[in-house]
Amino acid sequence: MSQISRRQAIALLGALGFGATAAACAGPGGSTAPGGATGPAAPATGNITGKVSFAHWRGEDKAVFDELIKRFEALHDGVEVAQDISTSNDYNAQALQKLRGGSIGDAFATFRGAQFKNFTEAGIYTELKDSKAVANYQPGLLSAGQSGESQLGLPYQVVFPMPLANVDLFDKAGAEIAPKNWDAFLGMCEKLAASGVVPISWPGGDVGNGGQLFNCMIANNAPVDDMCAQIEQGKLKVTDDWFLKMLGQYKDLVPYLQPNATGTAVEPAQNLFSQGKAAMLATGSYHIAAVRGLGAQFPMELVFPNTSDGNAKYEGVYNATFILGVNSASKNQAAAAAWIDFLSEPENAGYYANQTAQHVSVNNVEYTNTDLKRLSPWLEKKTALAARFQFLNLDVRNAVEASATAVISGASPEQAAEAAQKIVDERI
Amino acid sequence: MLASVSRRAILGIYAVIIIVPLTVVGFGSFKSTQELFAGPFSLPQSLSPANYAEVIAGQNLGSSFMNSVIVTAISVPLTLFLASLAGYAVSRLKGFISWAIFGFLVLGMAIPAQANMVPLYVLFGRLGLLDNLAGLVVANVVSTLPIAVFILGGFMRTLPKELYEASSIDGTGPWRTYTSIALPLSAPSVAAAAIFLFVIHWNELLYPLLFIQSPGNRTLPLALLSFQGEFQTNYPLLFAGVILASLPVVVAYVFLQRYFVAGITAGASKG
Amino acid sequence: MSTHIGTAAKRKAPHSHPEPSATKVRRRSPTRVNPALYLFPLPAVAVIAFFLLMPTLQAFQYAITDWNGFSAAFNYVGLDNFIRAFTGDSLFTNALTNNLKFVLLVVIAQTAFSLVLALLLTKNSRGSILLRALFFFPTILSSVSVAFIWKFIYDPNFGLANSVLGAVGLESLQGSYLGNNAQALYWVAVTQVWFHAGQMMVVYIAGLQSIPRELYEAAEMDGANRWQQFKSITWPFVAPATSIVVAYTTVQSFKAFDLILGIAGNPPKGSLDILSTRIYSTFANSEFGYAAAQSIIFMGMIALVTWLQRRLLRLTPKGE
Repeated sequence: MSQISRRQAIALLGALGFGATAAACAGPGGSTAPGGATGPAAPATGNITGKVSFAHWRGEDKAVFDELIKRFEALHDGVEVAQDISTSNDYNAQALQKLRGGSIGDAFATFRGAQFKNFTEAGIYTELKDSKAVANYQPGLLSAGQSGESQLGLPYQVVFPMPLANVDLFDKAGAEIAPKNWDAFLGMCEKLAASGVVPISWPGGDVGNGGQLFNCMIANNAPVDDMCAQIEQGKLKVTDDWFLKMLGQYKDLVPYLQPNATGTAVEPAQNLFSQGKAAMLATGSYHIAAVRGLGAQFPMELVFPNTSDGNAKYEGVYNATFILGVNSASKNQAAAAAWIDFLSEPENAGYYANQTAQHVSVNNVEYTNTDLKRLSPWLEKKTALAARFQFLNLDVRNAVEASATAVISGASPEQAAEAAQKIVDERI
Repeated sequence: MLASVSRRAILGIYAVIIIVPLTVVGFGSFKSTQELFAGPFSLPQSLSPANYAEVIAGQNLGSSFMNSVIVTAISVPLTLFLASLAGYAVSRLKGFISWAIFGFLVLGMAIPAQANMVPLYVLFGRLGLLDNLAGLVVANVVSTLPIAVFILGGFMRTLPKELYEASSIDGTGPWRTYTSIALPLSAPSVAAAAIFLFVIHWNELLYPLLFIQSPGNRTLPLALLSFQGEFQTNYPLLFAGVILASLPVVVAYVFLQRYFVAGITAGASKG
Repeated sequence: MSTHIGTAAKRKAPHSHPEPSATKVRRRSPTRVNPALYLFPLPAVAVIAFFLLMPTLQAFQYAITDWNGFSAAFNYVGLDNFIRAFTGDSLFTNALTNNLKFVLLVVIAQTAFSLVLALLLTKNSRGSILLRALFFFPTILSSVSVAFIWKFIYDPNFGLANSVLGAVGLESLQGSYLGNNAQALYWVAVTQVWFHAGQMMVVYIAGLQSIPRELYEAAEMDGANRWQQFKSITWPFVAPATSIVVAYTTVQSFKAFDLILGIAGNPPKGSLDILSTRIYSTFANSEFGYAAAQSIIFMGMIALVTWLQRRLLRLTPKGE
């Protein structure tokens, strides 16, 4: 032993000498961000050919995109589109690092909010203001992809991150599907429970999906619409009364969730719902296709957990997301832009919408999918933009959402809020 | 009597805890999600290879498999070559310089790979080693070279010096001595080290996670990890992936068990 | 398939004492070394210097900056990153606490359990050899595979653990495992022990088989019972093996990155965050300077814990 230590000591000295010299040569910095002070440029033009990498996180849409890719490739000789799919959590955490080099993601999508903003600041988006695609979108839904005067991204999907309901089970239990206030919502859960089913299947073991419920719970509780941004800036606190009230309402839900909800992953939660063992799946409309894939035949509706006393400002929540863009570091911007244009044509957007059971923000799309037709009235309702995507720092977002999970596992709202506020305070 | 009963109980229970999950994974890889959830222990209704077909063709696990093969097939011999060269020199050089070289090389064992991820990522970015298999080979070689030097160098020092001396008196150069004497005599140690490196390189996750961006360049463990999200938690598909990813090591384990135990234990003992 | 495991363990025995005696022989060598020999270690030395030591030293340089990993501009911030890690970042101190707890749990459980298995399987009977091969098996799987297997075991609704408990009428013991923040780390520790106990068992068997049988016979003649024999013969004789097992298990459980990521997702929730996953999250959040500082603390922790263990267990020869 002593021999080795001596050897190591000698070697360490040698190594320090060698390494110090080497380290002196290369410091941090060096690679500069693309974009720059002049603002984003439009995608380069040229021949629509070569390979296009399309980076996104919607693994469940892979087959549908594959079909659209086939149609796109048939239109243009020599063009090849490949999907680069990460999980939504990974995509949230790493896409910026990975796309900046331009080796993947000639065309790509971002989440609304933090990720879109980070991408904008890193100069990854190009200017799509004058693109062919932009004219196809409903103007009111384009704002999520705007930065100042620029239209950098095109929010493709309109999703409703609200619990899905099994209408048959609701009818059987005689439960009201559109509760007007919190007591009515709890009464509805009570009726469902009495009919022998789990009222709410909630994937509390999955941060990304489990957090969707947060959008509904906070929408009518918060004093302002940009509450999450304000929490992150320290202007609002999660120890404030309105937030504690919301956490208290989370606590009210505990008897109506499946057992061990905080350990439940997405697939098992979907299974409980699709097998008719649970009346609601607390994720969002983006899971309709997956639930149908698991064999669910029953009609589905959306339910808004109305946390108000009856004077709700919002009747639901929506999210304009999957913000399409062309990578400024891409070497094949022409083909990438053409792919985005292609996706934005009503016919193709309609194919995407009907196959994936998701609404899109493209105009003149005909919804033929039964589920989409049924849910279309929600497009007209007074819905709030989903709040969790306002968070810019993932550590903050996870901490705030974890306070709800903590309450469901038995912590008091005060404890949970204090623990979360501490982490937020450290990051202001 | 009592001791014998409790011995059997402990061993029996632990054997069950190992066998049952592995069996469930094996059966589960042939089931649908509903079938798995309905009865995890039951035999699959059919031996339909649908899950395997889906992960190999649909999810490109086939190409990830090839990437893993390529990376491992290059990085294991390369590490062994560099380490045995260094180990051989250390066993023949004298005094301070021998110590210094050996110490310098094995010192790397004290630096955990995860501690290096930031600077290594930056360095690889500058050298164009991000998002390609060459980068993974380099990372594997670097991370396991110290321990390989330790195992091989340690063994070569125990070889009788007279063999070397005889050959250098004959006027044979060090390269000949290395290839015709040192390497053949170290064969058991090289084999053990090879297995040890094979298992580590085949199962490596951190470097691919850090460096690989394109799905086409994923190795198996990374492909498996990204699976989890793409399918949320579609266990049957995950299980099919687990089985495919484990197949080569399991086959090797069945046939080369002796070297596995020797190699992995050597890695532990020396590490 | 399994006849070799016993012989291999035996074969290993002489090597498990990490003290080769060859250096002395070498120094007596009368011949002059061929200068070409100095070229042999060069590739290895160059690789290690360039890809291992230089980045490590650079980590120290990054650690005193606020570099975000992509912009050309950055500031030197002195020791701010280190101060922040220890005093102003409960996510980091949480990961540190989790990690130390995890290491302690796994080291104690895995060392004890692998010694028990080794004691029960010391004899080279056919049954023992078969069981050794079985217990060793999980070691060769990838961490991601092991994580997936255990994720399914722990799934509260459809998983194996709760199914088995339900089948034998122990519904009261059913839990949400990883979903229970107070317990999650313990369940991952169980997985880690399952993963590597067989490997450590082999190290112990090698140590046990090197104990001369005569010692036990003599002790039995003196009327020593099993426990006394264990205390006075077995334990001191396997001390070198214990030292190996403890040291390796420590490093292994510090590095449980793959397992945690596979079992808890990326990023893992707070109750399963350990140092390496936290460093990775910081890195992914584009805080390169801060991540580098965390890495240095991580390295320091491994060194400190290893050193403490040696002192505590008095496994280091005196005078070191």
